[in-house]
Amino acid sequence: MHDTGFTHHDLVLLLQGLGVSVGLFTATTIIGLALGTGWALLRYYRAPLLAPAVAFLAELLKNSPVLVQLFLVFFGLPVLLETDLTPVEAALITLSGNTAAFVYVIAVSAIESVGREQLETARVFGLGRWQTLRRVVAPQAAAFGVGPLTGLLVNQLQVTSLISVIGVVDLTKAGAILNVRTLAPFVVWTAVGLLYYLVARLIAWSCSRLETRLRAHSQWKGL
Amino acid sequence: MTFDPLSLAPYLGDFLAGARLSALACALALAGALALGIVVALMRTAASPLARRCAGAYVDVFRNVPFIVQLFFLFYGLPEIGLELDAFGTGVLALALAGGAFTSDVIRSGILALDPGVLEAAQVSGLPRLAIYRRIVLPIALRTTIRPLGSVFVNLILTSSILSAITINELTGSAKIVASDTFQPFEVYALLLLLYVAMTWLVSLAAGALHRRLNRHVAGDVA
Repeated sequence: MHDTGFTHHDLVLLLQGLGVSVGLFTATTIIGLALGTGWALLRYYRAPLLAPAVAFLAELLKNSPVLVQLFLVFFGLPVLLETDLTPVEAALITLSGNTAAFVYVIAVSAIESVGREQLETARVFGLGRWQTLRRVVAPQAAAFGVGPLTGLLVNQLQVTSLISVIGVVDLTKAGAILNVRTLAPFVVWTAVGLLYYLVARLIAWSCSRLETRLRAHSQWKGL
Repeated sequence: MTFDPLSLAPYLGDFLAGARLSALACALALAGALALGIVVALMRTAASPLARRCAGAYVDVFRNVPFIVQLFFLFYGLPEIGLELDAFGTGVLALALAGGAFTSDVIRSGILALDPGVLEAAQVSGLPRLAIYRRIVLPIALRTTIRPLGSVFVNLILTSSILSAITINELTGSAKIVASDTFQPFEVYALLLLLYVAMTWLVSLAAGALHRRLNRHVAGDVA
């Protein structure tokens, strides 16, 4: 009969798991944002072949379960390419790709939200393509895109919990370990859920602050 | 590097059996989620602040905690309080609870989009409250939200892959078995990904068609 009581090491384990979850979430968000925006730019510049290929890839990634993508990368890719992948590498690849697919959709609609007449005006004023993108399209598209991006990021935080299935010791895996040892599912899973909830709240709060800043230019300041 | 999808032909039966179980789980969960979503949406748009707060808390919790954590909470927690459900029952219950939160959001927006004049006309005509809900609010709110409800259902299908984590051999679970039988994980998971894409594509096509059909007499941007 083993000891089933809680010790302070359990809290350390949970916090370590939280660190892994938040770390992977941050890394895959940064990579996903860069990749997704890049894909959207391929469409903005109407790159032949690449633009439709990227649209197709995004559809595939959006309409299949992340768990299956994770299995495909973790179990399938090493066999196909005859290499080795650690669980963390597989998680990084899968989650970045998945985030990128959703960022792509948001970025495309954000870019399209900037009126066509603005592009024409910019051209009339003699701005180059890069200057138009950098000075006219990007600031307005960013303000438009932050709202949907908030929902996406809160969702992607929850998606990171799936990497526990391939053996990454994230918050969910730490919870599963504690669950087996302490045999107190209500306490353990409530604590795990609460930690995810708090981080999700934090993400939503920081995004809404960012949105206020990005929209500051269009706010009524009074005469 | 070898890629030989044809060698999976003898295992088609396993995939079909898994797909049937997935479809059954999703259909049951959809029914539960719809019933729950309607009740919660009515509570969230009710005049009573208590009902609004309770419903809001439910949606907040179930949207901000990862599904796999909810699933483990129910799977390990329910037997503790003497509720012995099998894995399949627990899975359907968890899917319905999580789906209910998202469904209620969609239906709520459908209710809020109702023209207040319609409700006032019903009240002035002396219709009892239940009749207003049953004959006026819900038919209009459900009809105009078929398409977003379809994407909630698509998400439900994608989420159902996580049920494989609690020993349910639905589509993903049976694919895991086939992958370990054949030693061809890449082919198996690639096929699985395409199967999910096809299923969700069909569902969203059907939802779109139903939406157009039910809203064919409605003018404007709803249809």
